Amino acid sequence: MSRYDTTFANLKARGEIAFVPFAVAGDPDLTTSIDIFKTYIDNGADILEIGYPFSDPVADGPVNQRAAQRAIAAGLTHATFFKMVRALRAVSDIPIGLLLYANSVHFLGYRTFCRRAADAGVDSLLVADMPPEESDELLAAIKSTGLKSVFIVSELTPPKRAAYICSKISGFVYVVSRLGATGAQSRLPTQAARTLQRLQRITARPFVVGFGLSEPRHIAAVKFAGAQGAIVGSALVAQIEKNLSSKKAMLKTLGTMTGHYKHATR
Amino acid sequence: MQAIKGFYGEFGGQFVPETLIPALDELEAAFNEFKNSEKHLLELDFYMNNYVGRPTPVYFAKNLSAKYGVNIYLKREDLLHTGAHKINNTIGQALLTRYMNKKRIIAETGAGQHGVATATAAALLNLACDIFMGTVDMARQRPNVFRMNLLGARVVPVASGSKTLKDAVNEALRDWSKTVRNTHYVFGSALGPHPFPTIVRQFQSIIGVETRRQILEQAGKLPDEIAACVGGGSNAIGIFDAFLNDKKVRLTGVEAGGLGLHTAKHAARLTPSPRARIGILHGSRSFVLQDSHGQIATTHSISAGLDYSGVGPQHSYLNQIKRVQYTLATDRQAIDAFSALCEYEGIIPALESSHAVAYALKRAPRMGQRQILIVNLSGRGDKDIFHVADYKGIAL
Repeated sequence: MSRYDTTFANLKARGEIAFVPFAVAGDPDLTTSIDIFKTYIDNGADILEIGYPFSDPVADGPVNQRAAQRAIAAGLTHATFFKMVRALRAVSDIPIGLLLYANSVHFLGYRTFCRRAADAGVDSLLVADMPPEESDELLAAIKSTGLKSVFIVSELTPPKRAAYICSKISGFVYVVSRLGATGAQSRLPTQAARTLQRLQRITARPFVVGFGLSEPRHIAAVKFAGAQGAIVGSALVAQIEKNLSSKKAMLKTLGTMTGHYKHATR
Repeated sequence: MQAIKGFYGEFGGQFVPETLIPALDELEAAFNEFKNSEKHLLELDFYMNNYVGRPTPVYFAKNLSAKYGVNIYLKREDLLHTGAHKINNTIGQALLTRYMNKKRIIAETGAGQHGVATATAAALLNLACDIFMGTVDMARQRPNVFRMNLLGARVVPVASGSKTLKDAVNEALRDWSKTVRNTHYVFGSALGPHPFPTIVRQFQSIIGVETRRQILEQAGKLPDEIAACVGGGSNAIGIFDAFLNDKKVRLTGVEAGGLGLHTAKHAARLTPSPRARIGILHGSRSFVLQDSHGQIATTHSISAGLDYSGVGPQHSYLNQIKRVQYTLATDRQAIDAFSALCEYEGIIPALESSHAVAYALKRAPRMGQRQILIVNLSGRGDKDIFHVADYKGIAL
């Protein structure tokens, strides 16, 4: 059984859904970034979603883009990134998913990237700007290295296409809860629930909802709508940015927030 | 030429977030209907002839030719409404927007030329219009910001990343991914995800169609060579397209050499250098300037229109199969060519086009006296006079 299978099975048995916190690797620097992910783990994260920083992140809003810029400026590279994943894998067995951009994978070569990611302890890859049509080579590399594939389905995805996308997924279905780039919002659109109902007829893979979740009640809503997991990104990353001057306050805030979010999954 | 949907050889594709895929599918279907609809093509022709100012002349530059001992002809896209070839594409895409029943267009702009051309098309066809522009570029190009405002467009400042063209593209893509239902993104060059490179080429290919007819009328034969500057590559593909099957016509794309290839300050993507590699940027796989860790590199050129890290996928392909040769002209060479064209022909060229002129002046001595070299003069240089004065150390 993969780490994802185990995690989702255990959560289901406990009547919970997965809480999936996100941060950009290397933001604001490598050491702090490792501590941020450890804080997530220590406060109840079920899965980690790690962003690989890219200079031109078209699927991200301003908060995550600034995080990527901080990480790049602080010197994050492929080598330090995989080192960081190893450090996290050494202390935890929860699934680790990567969210990244095509050029970051393409640069190393799909096979090399996937092999190094799998060796470091990564479980899945979601390439934000690589739809399944462009992913043949990547999917082959993912499969041969034992990684899992994740793709996005949105409310605009027509049913036939949603079925096609789900057929390419070996990990979980990343359901975008609204259109546009990443970023916190205070209201969760009802489309997400409808999209989930539609998808349940298509695939048995777990659904994890992301983009725009910022409050514990959003997570409760996502659970009620039938998802198996909820991703919070920008709301956490915004706290990293807000607390750049005090690492202690940053980690404390992130820990507390993680606890509240996790609580809402129960 | 396109073996797989949206690919030129191994270049191109649709590397976009999932939320944009339905919009690209819709666009592709609409474009295929549009380009086969006589009614819509007649309307496009009407605007091209009566509003934009087509056809543009092919002009025999006799003074320059006499001096350099070769026959240099200029395709005068600089005479078009709004001052450059950009308007061919924006009118076409604005008509396509109306055909799709969308009410709003957005666009990215660097120097402001594409922004002005888009704002113009929006005013003409009663569309709402938002132009994304880096704050660094806004400061450098205040007159064009004001022009866009006069034309009724809103200029949205982009303060993220390097605050220039590539960040404006990022922001336009972000806007589009949440407004696709009522908005069309008018890509400014033969770049981006499929079908944009094809759409932009189609609307710009009128340049080559006219040129081919005109040179046959005037000189009685095809040219020996055609040169065009390459930023994203729309004016170049526009003039090359009609000659791609004429194997004896040498085609040359001229990139921005900036301060020289030995520095990091250039925008030469197809001329080999350690930073020029195949990558994925803004929706397509093509040559991209990158740093040693795969982050997109910032570029430099005296000409804002050539100052971009990526290049249209068809150019990468034409380079790979050696149908088009790509070379560069430095800032200095472009400025010298700018001055030469002003003095010898009474034409103030855009700094972008000056790169193609610079190549022509370098190339001329190696050509025979009867040979014909056509330069695509893609835009006029009124917008550049302050930069040129600045470069020459003259206060205006």
